[in-house]
Amino acid sequence: MKVLWQIAVITGVCFVGEGISLILPIPFPSGVIGMILLFLLLLFKRIQPRDLKESTDFLTDSMKFLFVPAGVGVMQIFDDIRNSFLPMVFICIVTTVITFAATAAAVNGTIKFQQWLRVRRRKPV
Amino acid sequence: MSDWLSSPFFGISLSIAAYAIGVLIQNKLNTPFANPLLIAIVLVIAFLSIFSIPYEDYNAGGQIITMLLIPATVVLSISVYNRLDILKKNWLPVIVGCLAGSVTSIISVLLLCRMFGLDDTMTISLLPKSVTTPIAVGLSEQYGGIASVTVTSVIITGIFGTVFAPQLIRLFRVKNAVASGVAIGTCSHVGGTTRAIEIGETQGAMSSLSIGIAGLLSTFIMVFIKFL
Repeated sequence: MKVLWQIAVITGVCFVGEGISLILPIPFPSGVIGMILLFLLLLFKRIQPRDLKESTDFLTDSMKFLFVPAGVGVMQIFDDIRNSFLPMVFICIVTTVITFAATAAAVNGTIKFQQWLRVRRRKPV
Repeated sequence: MSDWLSSPFFGISLSIAAYAIGVLIQNKLNTPFANPLLIAIVLVIAFLSIFSIPYEDYNAGGQIITMLLIPATVVLSISVYNRLDILKKNWLPVIVGCLAGSVTSIISVLLLCRMFGLDDTMTISLLPKSVTTPIAVGLSEQYGGIASVTVTSVIITGIFGTVFAPQLIRLFRVKNAVASGVAIGTCSHVGGTTRAIEIGETQGAMSSLSIGIAGLLSTFIMVFIKFL
């Protein structure tokens, strides 16, 4: 019954997430809503990570595998995107480098700003 | 024969077999370029093409696997929750970093797609490419993109992150472990994170934390951009 109970909790969260996703006026993936719901359940101690351990391990371990069919779908549209394929690879690589630089700069900037605040607070103005 | 192959068990078995071969090849070659997911996709496509099996027959089982992506997204919150301590200690830099990175990613993809003259469907499919796949696919579908193009772009990004994370750290002279961890997770999700874990414990934890946060923030940014 243990795993069945875990599946019931996760499926329930997914189902409620889909309901909310349908009501929301903005496009919001139901999985992300479910993610927020489960996070709230964890935060308010309604549920413990270990309560879902077996199912979570299964889903996390096989996560990459779950994308196989979605990736295979490319064969249906490959003729349409053939010409965009090289730009697509180029865009993926260039934007990843830019994103890395922007993120690192933002984190460093924030840490420096916090240190500066701390120093300023210590010195009475 | 076609009745037999349209059984959902065909698609599921073929997917698992192809993925198992992918894992085997990766273990043998031991290079991030031999991505098991990429190998599995190529193998399944080759198999279906060689035996002229219609995609619909394969997808009878395939869609059952795809359905599991939603619960897989939901349990991502557990990995954020498990790292709540380090998030509390560094919440401001982590959130500012993920936000800056996600905005940069989405805007730079948008601009480059326009530059290359890609159509809207293609652009929408590429927008979430730095986000972890389950969220990226959800976003792409919600906005009218093509899920399989999104999956491909996320894989390319992930492989690039896995291979070049240390070079990126050196290129931009990032000395702070928190900064490099968040940057790797935000720009290249799980792919980069596997490498970040090898670089150091802080980098790995920060990187995996950023996957969930950047994914969530990207969802909001996409909503925001839609209204512009």
